[in-house]
Amino acid sequence: MMNDNNNEYVIEVENLVVQYGTKRVLDNISFKVKKGEIFVILGGSGCGKSTLLRTLVGLIRPHSGRILMFGKDVTTMNAPEQIELRKRIGMCFQNSALFNSMTVGENVALPLKEHTHLAESTIEIMTQIKLDLVGLGGCSNLYPSQLSGGMKKRAGIARAMALDPEIIFYDEPSSGLDPIVAAGLDHLIRKMQNTFNLTSVVVTHDLESVQIIADRVCLLHAGKIVAIGDLKNLEQNNNSYLQQFFSRTPNPEENQSASAILDSLEDM
Amino acid sequence: MIAVFLGKIGSVFLNGLHSTFVVCVLIMDTLNWLFFQPLLGRGLRWRSAVEHFVEYGFRSMPIVGLISLLVGIIMGMQSAYTLQQWGATIFMANLVGISALRELAPLMSAILITGRSGSAITAEIGTMKVSEEVDALMVMGLNPIKFLVVPKFLGMVIAVPCVTVLSMAIMIAGGFIVAVGILSIDFWAYFDQTANALVSKDLFSGLVKSVFFGLTICWVGIYRGFQVEGSAESVGKMTTSSVVTSIFTIIIVDLIWTALFYFTE
Repeated sequence: MMNDNNNEYVIEVENLVVQYGTKRVLDNISFKVKKGEIFVILGGSGCGKSTLLRTLVGLIRPHSGRILMFGKDVTTMNAPEQIELRKRIGMCFQNSALFNSMTVGENVALPLKEHTHLAESTIEIMTQIKLDLVGLGGCSNLYPSQLSGGMKKRAGIARAMALDPEIIFYDEPSSGLDPIVAAGLDHLIRKMQNTFNLTSVVVTHDLESVQIIADRVCLLHAGKIVAIGDLKNLEQNNNSYLQQFFSRTPNPEENQSASAILDSLEDM
Repeated sequence: MIAVFLGKIGSVFLNGLHSTFVVCVLIMDTLNWLFFQPLLGRGLRWRSAVEHFVEYGFRSMPIVGLISLLVGIIMGMQSAYTLQQWGATIFMANLVGISALRELAPLMSAILITGRSGSAITAEIGTMKVSEEVDALMVMGLNPIKFLVVPKFLGMVIAVPCVTVLSMAIMIAGGFIVAVGILSIDFWAYFDQTANALVSKDLFSGLVKSVFFGLTICWVGIYRGFQVEGSAESVGKMTTSSVVTSIFTIIIVDLIWTALFYFTE
């Protein structure tokens, strides 16, 4: 019974604590991500959600706690194991992080060239397939600086998909994009998950995209998990921060001091 | 007051110790990925190394050549000024030749390459850090040392001695211009004087220095690049700091090697 459970969850986070110096950024975080679902980490600015994502992919070493991916502890892995794991995951960065010195095609081909022994021509075909997948078929020879924000994010997804990963992480996929492009990206994330049964972990603060993509949501506030569950569950939860977040109510104290100044300016 | 002062000294010392440690780790990592990992079949990015060599070495040749020529002429005239008083202008050949080979050519080349390429290394790695490209490499399971550091390292360590040899030749040619053109010394007499003055150890000591200057430029540039945090402002700060640290370290390294060669004469 225990084992069955383990197979179902591809990511298990237990009592994770991350500190910068003495400042605790993530405090005792625990959650599990099921295979094939889209798990959204939701939270306001500075709540630690990007830190959580970077810890999951191994860019930040946690202070304590465990992160199991495919049943293996990420935090105690040696370098070769880490490389093997990283071939099975993909990550799309907030600002896409494409290599500016390479064309879009070369960006997507890089993981294939380095981690596989495929022939040059095969890599070329696979790169083209990945780019077609995200709707950038004709952009292979362009440089990242020639792409728009939305196209860059799509190229980032194509690169993350290059090695056919089993888990894909998205850091703020819709930030800085207009609603139409953002919606297009949301649908792309959905489509990827449907087509490849891809487990996706998405960090965002965009409520509208959560409505479209989320299977399950975890709301983060000040380094702690406020609530976790599917969207319906969360909307019925009475937690005050959660209600405030979903109804987009501003913080009263911040607003009071701001409006006091604005009022006094108006009077002048 | 005293406590604050001592605390300051302590923290400067600890910071120095920490950065020494970080640089040591960086050096070990670089050597590991340069010599050991390729043996395990992890590969070396030759093409990238050659591209960097062309950038650091070949492309800096025009400016290094021009400046070496000017420095050679300047040295020729300065030494002629003193030597004329004794009617010994022919010994200009010794002065220009030896100081070019042992000191000025390696130093000028290193300082010019620091300004040209050391800063570029820091800015490139720093920008990649700010735009999360270094993180992207790591998440893809690609080692930044192998991808970013080793090609630059190889390119730099080969480029600096090559440029230095060119600089040596041109500096001596600068001396020739002064001797033959202005002081009307016979070309072959000056040539013979130069050839007799120089021994292979002069060339050797200059080349040893230049290799270590190359190591310095490269590691300082890379270290400062990885120190960049957060913003574009930090890239600018670290680039400045990279050039200053690098030139300072080059002078220290120069002093150490000069002393070593002097005392083992």
